[in-house]
Amino acid sequence: MSHLHLVNPEPRGDLFEAELAPSAPLPRGRHGIPADLVNAHQRRRLVAAMSGALAEHSYARVTAKHVSERAGVSSRTFYKHFGNLWECLLAAYEDAGTQLCAEIESGCAECGGLSPLEGGQSSTRLQSGIDAALAFLAVEPHLARLLGGQPPLEAPALAAARRSLVERLATMLRQARDPADDAIRPPGLEERLIDAALSFVSAQVAAGNSDLTRLGPELTELLAGPSLTPSQAR
Amino acid sequence: MRQEACATAPELLPVAADPTTADADTALRETTMEAVLAAVGSLGYRATSVRAILERSGGHRAQFYEQFGSKEACFEHAYATWIERLGVGLLGAAATAGGWRPGVRSALTGLFEFVEERPEIARALLVEVQVAGGPALARREEALERLAAAIDGVRDQIDPEEAPPEATGMFVVGGVEACVCDALAAGDPARVWDSLPQLMHFAVGSYLGREAAEEEEEAARELLNRRADRGGEPG
Repeated sequence: MSHLHLVNPEPRGDLFEAELAPSAPLPRGRHGIPADLVNAHQRRRLVAAMSGALAEHSYARVTAKHVSERAGVSSRTFYKHFGNLWECLLAAYEDAGTQLCAEIESGCAECGGLSPLEGGQSSTRLQSGIDAALAFLAVEPHLARLLGGQPPLEAPALAAARRSLVERLATMLRQARDPADDAIRPPGLEERLIDAALSFVSAQVAAGNSDLTRLGPELTELLAGPSLTPSQAR
Repeated sequence: MRQEACATAPELLPVAADPTTADADTALRETTMEAVLAAVGSLGYRATSVRAILERSGGHRAQFYEQFGSKEACFEHAYATWIERLGVGLLGAAATAGGWRPGVRSALTGLFEFVEERPEIARALLVEVQVAGGPALARREEALERLAAAIDGVRDQIDPEEAPPEATGMFVVGGVEACVCDALAAGDPARVWDSLPQLMHFAVGSYLGREAAEEEEEAARELLNRRADRGGEPG
């Protein structure tokens, strides 16, 4: 239930924006909420409902109706915001990616920031960022599946969005690492590591691992990349 | 079939009354399985209809339903058959390469050749299976686990104190798969060859450290140069 003043108030966007609970449906009837806020709120609910609907019905069967029902809006409202299911999925993917990056930056900020220029040790920065990412995905396992899965052929824009996210996370990984490492790593290695990490976390959720936060030390070691361990096998 | 005959059927060898008919059925089944994967890899799982499959296989609707029952069942059978073949092929290439590092290289180049030659089938096996879900997705997990276990075999040669994390095999296999899927999604399967040096560095370095990673990265670059000299398109 949202907490709104319902008796035809003066339109005050800032007040409503502050009081609208993002996941709750808007009150029925005349509520005096400005139309642009109603639209934004509906869109936010549809985007939030997308990953849950996908997890419940799978890529093979999920429909726009599943999403609109979960969001508490009509199918007509769904198509007012999105041309088709894949557009909504793209918005959900981009939103989840933005949230993930924000959580990592926030986690790194607590230990002095993402960049070595901001101080702090490389290993601590990496560990903090990974812990923050896993804590976020542990609470939102649907998003871990969404971000780590392979986008279907019918949604080529989603594949491009995945690529953008991988590049963004790879840049963060490069920033978090010791800059001296850059000279000896092939270009694109971080992208491969991020690809692997997204797939790994998604597979863990699919396998029913409910405590993603325990993966932190292992994932940190894996994302740190090849160490100076001497080669032994031929 | 009578009840008692059903009960003993699994112990009997299959008997074909008419070998020609049996061969034709097998050939049609094989063609249909290839057709469903090609259709799914081209149109997407959701958009693939039985009609689209039949247009590729040249078979009849009645035969299709007699052999498979549904699009979903047909995809599951086709997926199980082809992912098994691909897995066996890659593991075989690795096993006969003469060592772990050449084995990783052979398996990767074998995978890339398959992706370049059969991009539609590869898209069905690696990308659209995630849309299909169900038993096919379970087969995919099994195949990835077998590959991860094979790559993890090098642990025997590593000092336990320097052993990488337990999840390294799945991590590496997942990274390779994601890289291939990205090239397929971009509609440029030949692009996977560009990532060979990075992937060799990633896979070998994850187990054997930086020195081995750099050696394998260099070896992969040389392999790509030789391939280009032979007229191949390394991407």
